[in-house]
Amino acid sequence: MRQFFSICAVITLAGVSFAQDIRVPADVTAGNDAVISTSGSGKATFYLSGPGVARKADVNLGESIPLSSKELTNAGSYLAIVCSDACHSGAFCVIPDKPASLSFLVHPSRVPVALNDAVSGIAFPFDQFHNFVLAPGTVNFQFTAGKASLLAQPVKMQNGAAWFRTTSGRSAGALQVSATLGDIMAHRVVQQVASDACNLKVEGHPSPGGVFVQTEPVHDCAGNLLPDGTVVTFSATQAHGKSTVDAPIKQGIARAQISASGPTTVSAASGVVMGNELRLEAQR
Amino acid sequence: MSRTIRSTFAVSVARLSLTLLSLTLGSYAADSATAPQVHLDVSKTSPRQVEELTEKGILRDYRLAWSSLAQALELNTLGPLDGPFAGEAKRTLRQSVLGQQHAGLSTRYIGQTHQVEGVLYSPEGDVMELHDTAQYQLQITDGGKVIHDERVLMHYVVLMTPAADRWVIRQLQAVPNF
Repeated sequence: MRQFFSICAVITLAGVSFAQDIRVPADVTAGNDAVISTSGSGKATFYLSGPGVARKADVNLGESIPLSSKELTNAGSYLAIVCSDACHSGAFCVIPDKPASLSFLVHPSRVPVALNDAVSGIAFPFDQFHNFVLAPGTVNFQFTAGKASLLAQPVKMQNGAAWFRTTSGRSAGALQVSATLGDIMAHRVVQQVASDACNLKVEGHPSPGGVFVQTEPVHDCAGNLLPDGTVVTFSATQAHGKSTVDAPIKQGIARAQISASGPTTVSAASGVVMGNELRLEAQR
Repeated sequence: MSRTIRSTFAVSVARLSLTLLSLTLGSYAADSATAPQVHLDVSKTSPRQVEELTEKGILRDYRLAWSSLAQALELNTLGPLDGPFAGEAKRTLRQSVLGQQHAGLSTRYIGQTHQVEGVLYSPEGDVMELHDTAQYQLQITDGGKVIHDERVLMHYVVLMTPAADRWVIRQLQAVPNF
C-alpha cells in the first residue's frame, strides 16, 4: 500500500517557490504525527495548507516543526510553507490508514425469487478517518438464507471498489448479504418475495345474492406462497354484463362475494397470470 | 410628489445595488480566470454504461463543484459548498474554509483544467468514481500577500452520488497517481 502512495501528489510545473530551506516527510499515514525540518536561523512564519486544515504559526528557523496527528487525518496533498525574507515550500502526502469500515450498497431491498441478475451490490473501503482506501484487496461476498450458505464470491477490488451481481434465490424470506475485507465486515438484508402466481385455481359456490369465490392457496412456480396484500381480480360474466372485484390475498387465499343472478362464469387473474374459469348458477 | 421622490430614490438604490453586485461577481469571475475547463470521458466506465443525459449531468455538476470550491476557498465563504458537496468532501472543505478564516489565508485556483475519466459506475447507478487529472495555478495569500504561487498537476479520486436534482461530490481525495 505504501508503494502505491510513494510519491506526493503535487508536481510543480512552474512557479516561484522551492523547498530548499524546508524538509517535509515523504509521506505520512493518516492520523500519525510528522515533523518538518527547517534550516537557517531567525524568526519565520509557518503555514500548513491541506484537506481540512489551514493554519499559520510563528517558528524559529533551524528548529523542527511538529505536525500533530489531529491535523493529518485527511488523506491528500499538503503544502508546508515557511516565510522569512522569502517563502519556501514543500509538498507531502497523507495516505489513508488501513481499511476500518466498508460502505456497502445492495439493491434492491425487496426482490422476487429466481430473477436473473436481480441482486447487486458494491463495497468501498474507508479508513477510521473516512478516507477512501484505494489499496488492492479482495472482498468476499457471502449470501445466506436462514442458516444455509448459498454462495460465496471473492471479488478483487478495482479502483478501490468491488461489486457483484447475482440471481435471487428460490425461496422467499430474508437473504443475508455480507461483504468481508480482512477483518472488517458489513451486512445487508434483501427480502426475497414470491414471484408471479403459478397455476391460479378458483373454486366457489352459489351464495345468497350471488356467488362466493375463492382461490386455492396461491403459490409462485417455485412453491412460495404469495405475500398478503397481493391482489387477485375476480371477474363475473353474466347474461346482462360483467363485473370485477379486486381481493387481496390473506394467508395465501383471496376471497370475494360477487353479486350475480342466473348463470355466471367466474375467472380470476393475478398480474398477468390467468386462472381457471368456473361456471356457477347464482342464487336470485 | 414626495411619493414620486421616494419611488425614484428606491429605483436608484436598486440600480446601484445591482451594479455593485454585478461588479463584484464580474470581478470574481475575472480574477478566477473564468470557469474550470472540464473534459469528461466515460467510454471505459464499468460495470454500468453511462447514459448520455447522466454524462451531461456529471460534466455540468463537476464543473460547478470546482467553481464553487474555488469560490469558497478564495472568498472564505461556506455558502458555495452547500449544493455541490456532501458528506466527507463537504466536511473537509468546510474545515479548510474555517481554518483559512481563522488564519487569514486565502487560496486561489486559477486557470483550472480537468481531464476526468469515469472509471466505475455502480450496477444500480448510485455511485460513480471519477479520476481527475487537474492542472491549475495554486496561489495562497496571507492578508493579500502572495506566499505561494505555482502551477501544479494533481490527481484526484472522486466519488459522486446522485441527489434530488444533481450529482454531488462525496469524496474528493488527492492521490499521487492512478
